[in-house]
Amino acid sequence: MQRGSYQMPPAHSPPLHHPVPQHISQVPNLRSPPPPASQNGYGYGGQQSPPQGQGGQAGYMPQFGGFMNDPTAQMGLQMGQSAMKVGQEYVEQNFNRYINVSALKHYFNVSNRYVLAKTTLVLFPWRHRPWSRSQTNTASPTHHGTTTTQFLPPREDVNSPDMYIPLMAFITYVLLTTLIAGLNGKFEPQLLGMTFSNASVVIVLELLVLWLGRYFLNISSESQIYDLVAYSGYKFVGVIVTVAVAAVVNRGKGTGGWVGWTVFAYTFMANAFFLLRSLKYVLLPPDNSPSNPSMQTIARGQRSRRTQFLFVYSYVVQFAFMWWLTALNFGGGFPVAGGKGMGKGRGGR
Amino acid sequence: MASLFFFNFGGFFQASILIVNAMAILSEDRFLARIGWGSAQNEPAFGGMQDNASVKAKMINLINSVRTLMRIPLIFLNALIIVWAIAFG
Repeated sequence: MQRGSYQMPPAHSPPLHHPVPQHISQVPNLRSPPPPASQNGYGYGGQQSPPQGQGGQAGYMPQFGGFMNDPTAQMGLQMGQSAMKVGQEYVEQNFNRYINVSALKHYFNVSNRYVLAKTTLVLFPWRHRPWSRSQTNTASPTHHGTTTTQFLPPREDVNSPDMYIPLMAFITYVLLTTLIAGLNGKFEPQLLGMTFSNASVVIVLELLVLWLGRYFLNISSESQIYDLVAYSGYKFVGVIVTVAVAAVVNRGKGTGGWVGWTVFAYTFMANAFFLLRSLKYVLLPPDNSPSNPSMQTIARGQRSRRTQFLFVYSYVVQFAFMWWLTALNFGGGFPVAGGKGMGKGRGGR
Repeated sequence: MASLFFFNFGGFFQASILIVNAMAILSEDRFLARIGWGSAQNEPAFGGMQDNASVKAKMINLINSVRTLMRIPLIFLNALIIVWAIAFG
């Protein structure tokens, strides 16, 4: 901007408010060492270029034009850029060891139509016909001659699990229960944290059940643990519906009563049916699977064990968790009751 | 640590440490061998087929690995919880 101010004294020059770059591509040039000619030319060329209306980037350019002329500053900038790049790669490598980021991206590849279809599917799964996930056969880049089957992303396949809906439903659950508590006049900021920790521990417990099931049942491939994590988050949709309907009908006094229990039973059955149908293909792959070298056939004893696990998981475990999530009574006998978080030197809160 | 009504991370942490303690305490030769749950290399691999996949073998494996891996970290975690409990109730 200081260059623009130099324009003021000569009255005959066109009224420049600030120098503008000739073309917008000056801004991305910051990533690579800028060609010295254009920058040098820009150092005093800005005064002569007429303003073309793209004044936004012009604020940066004169300052960079000023010190980029200096070769040591250029070298310093290059070193800084390469250091940042190396740092980024290091962080990515270490982070990728714990969480497979590229696999996670597959779960967030959703579209609006998919979200709507999946939400209605979670709440009304009875009429849905084909539950199997679609696969594409692509030629494997490493072993030529074999084809690797990959599952289609959620954008193209309603049956594919995603993590967008569970994540959003989780956040909505925390906010909704806090909102209801607030409507009852019992809001306090630590309620947000308590609900969040509560729901997180429910998720962690469910992950524990799933991990133990996977360990004891020898469910091998890596993508399957992410699938199970995604499927465990779908119950929050039912929980939200239950809590919302019960709050509306009971006027915020908790999720008891006829309507609350009816809605809870319905969403529980819908969720259980949805999980049964979806997880059947994850845990019990069909016997006549085509040439997929990674899937081994499962012994009959194991099949029955996996089926039992599936049933127990879908019904009993989900019932327990869904009941726990909906039964926290934020309206009437709220457990905080004014004495928990304060005084008496209680540890941990 | 805190109330019973809400799960919270502190309570969950304490409960998990207690459970892992319970798994790590089970003595190999005084208890597990007595009830037949000794370490899984009972018979050396005849023809390469080891009973590695049954639930019992996996439980034995799990207990063994908890015992070997978590002995030392458990010392520190238990000490941490003891200090926390003494200092903050």
